[in-house]
Amino acid sequence: MSVVVLLIGLCAGIMVGLLGIGGGILIVPALVYLLHMDQHAAQGTSLFVLLPPIGLGALLEYRKKGDVDFRAGILCALGMLIGGYLGGRIAVPMSSDHLKQLFGAFLMFSALLLWSKASKKTVSTEPAVSTEGGS
Amino acid sequence: MGKTIGFLLAGIAGGVLSGLFGIGGGTVLIPIFGLLLAFDQHKAQGTSLVALIPPTGLLAVIAYAKSGYVSWWTGALLIPGLFVGGIIGAKIARRMEPRRMRQVFAILMFALGAWEAMGALRR
Repeated sequence: MSVVVLLIGLCAGIMVGLLGIGGGILIVPALVYLLHMDQHAAQGTSLFVLLPPIGLGALLEYRKKGDVDFRAGILCALGMLIGGYLGGRIAVPMSSDHLKQLFGAFLMFSALLLWSKASKKTVSTEPAVSTEGGS
Repeated sequence: MGKTIGFLLAGIAGGVLSGLFGIGGGTVLIPIFGLLLAFDQHKAQGTSLVALIPPTGLLAVIAYAKSGYVSWWTGALLIPGLFVGGIIGAKIARRMEPRRMRQVFAILMFALGAWEAMGALRR
């Protein structure tokens, strides 16, 4: 059981570095289906895991190539603190099955959006939609 | 100025989904950076990692913990793997081209989403 948990952590960690995400999208389904945790408990545990700076090692790797915008990241972190509280307040009273379906639908929707973008040729220098291009 | 507000709003959107789904929020930030703010995929991912360093989910964890929805021991066991795996993943990412990375990202996310949703519908 402990070994399974450690392995889930390692797999999620590879996603952290490879995809630049927290790994929660792997941790939550893995806890639900491999460890038979309730959806809410899996989500709460996943959020707890993300509190320490687990992505620090990965971040330093990205920085070596200059692929980091610190200002944007810090501003987002500020917004996330507030947003996280709101999201938690919405999720806690919801039923586990509704939460699961919503989570699944959200992931598939984001995936399709990204896929459609990746299938066209990616031009990294195209102008920003919101304001002026460049950073 | 417009950009500053854009980043803050992206953070709030990421945070709401983070608290709602128990995830880090990178899944939301990366498409926003990449599709709306025109970051390339590597930069979107590196910047998302910055937002994951501070304990942004603290208020959300408190909301879950109040209802007993946190398994502290399991969580503690997950942390070392995440850290080590993160470095391994980042080393792989540095060798990949951005378009391929976006595709890997999309496929993994779709598969995990289907896994979640199907599980809920099967019962």
